[in-house]
Amino acid sequence: MVRLELPAHLRSLARISGEVKLDVRGEVTQRSVLNALEADYPMLRGTIRDQVTQKRRPFVRFFACEQDLSHESPDAPLPHEVATAVEPLLVVGAIAGG
Amino acid sequence: MRMFASTETIGLTSEEVLRYSRHLIMPEVSQEGQQRLKAARVLCIGAGGLGSPLALYLAAAGIGTLGVVDFDVVDYTNLQRQIIHTTPDVGRSKVGSAAEKIAAINPFVKVRPFDTKLTSANALEIFRDFDIIADGTDNFATRYLVNDACVLSGKLNVYASVFRFEGQASVFAAKSGPCYRCLYPEPPPPGMVPSCAEGGVLGVLPGLLGMMQATEVIKLVLGLGDPLIGRLLLVDALAMRFRELKIRKDPECPVCGVNPTLKELIDYDQFCAVRGETPANSAVLPEMQPEELNRRLDAGEDIFVLDVREPHEYQICSLGGHLIPLGDLPQRVHELNSYREREIVVHCKSGARSAKAVEVLQQAGFRSVLNLAGGIMGWADKIDRTMPRY
Repeated sequence: MVRLELPAHLRSLARISGEVKLDVRGEVTQRSVLNALEADYPMLRGTIRDQVTQKRRPFVRFFACEQDLSHESPDAPLPHEVATAVEPLLVVGAIAGG
Repeated sequence: MRMFASTETIGLTSEEVLRYSRHLIMPEVSQEGQQRLKAARVLCIGAGGLGSPLALYLAAAGIGTLGVVDFDVVDYTNLQRQIIHTTPDVGRSKVGSAAEKIAAINPFVKVRPFDTKLTSANALEIFRDFDIIADGTDNFATRYLVNDACVLSGKLNVYASVFRFEGQASVFAAKSGPCYRCLYPEPPPPGMVPSCAEGGVLGVLPGLLGMMQATEVIKLVLGLGDPLIGRLLLVDALAMRFRELKIRKDPECPVCGVNPTLKELIDYDQFCAVRGETPANSAVLPEMQPEELNRRLDAGEDIFVLDVREPHEYQICSLGGHLIPLGDLPQRVHELNSYREREIVVHCKSGARSAKAVEVLQQAGFRSVLNLAGGIMGWADKIDRTMPRY
């Protein structure tokens, strides 16, 4: 099980409150986590990564254990703390309200 | 760490010594630090939710010159969080209202009101007379404008933003750390991330974040502590949890990277529409004006009204339409199968969510789907002035 935190507007879109808990098959990577997320919440397709290129969209970033993982390969293993659900993978999105 | 510690000082009068005594007795501030605060020139972009506590606390702290930029007027819906404005201020210019409150709190502050929209044409000129810029605006176009103008003019950008129960804060100092574009190179597509007007914001939250901005400004002026440079602070008011994330300078950043390509300010409205990847068909997204909908419904025409807001919004006001919140629409589109041959008019609060719903329905094969221009608030403006606004 992997814990994932989404930005507020995506939680609203997917009608999620709080963290998402995902069963991720195989190695825990950005790609496998997002695959599991999009399988469970199809309305999130295209919001975090481009549906065609599968690249992270430039107005969201991935963090875990306080570190920015946004430029890591989508197939790189996520930190052990994320893979073991000790820490969540954070999807942080741009907001502009003031 | 001293990023900006003004060496310029201005003497304090005996009245100011009394006023700032709680600062002066702290050796970290002392008379020298208070004189630095008096010499500092800080520009607040926006006199709204963030700008209210920011300007009030900076004034109280004794920032000598405080600029405020805002083109808006005070609205009733502002009063839930924009505490620099009061009920009698509704209808007044925000900078006029803010300048009056700042002067009342601290007459020693020189207020410089800019009752204008910050644009590519005036930003660098306005920024020129200030040392630190505090970004409390409410839209992506102005945030990129503030960032780029700060990088190009070498100013510190003390940043915060809020949405619903969450906020973000950082200090962008492009000489030594990342800028806003390093964090978010491009804005989201228009309508993807709702504004506070669309999604709401807990009234105290901009208070919390605005005070963090004020704290960072004061630290920068005094040269005290560790500024939020290279760190993004996430605030979750519901969990009352603060997370700190490390953010890095992007060597390929177009404005502060190794080989910058952006050397002058651009058209930020266009940038946020174009780089935000407006859907190709948005320019031709079919719309219906409230007047036409009203006339045709009155004439008894067979128009199906779909409301894609949330149930709690429906309780505030409605046109009596069929309610399917946007987030549920992909799963519940079958509910509309019997209306495939009818004209469907979709609305939300102001038109952004319903535009997305129109696309969803078009992709599901519905041919005659129109977006109600301006949403139900457009209806409240043009058709039913008694309808509650929110």
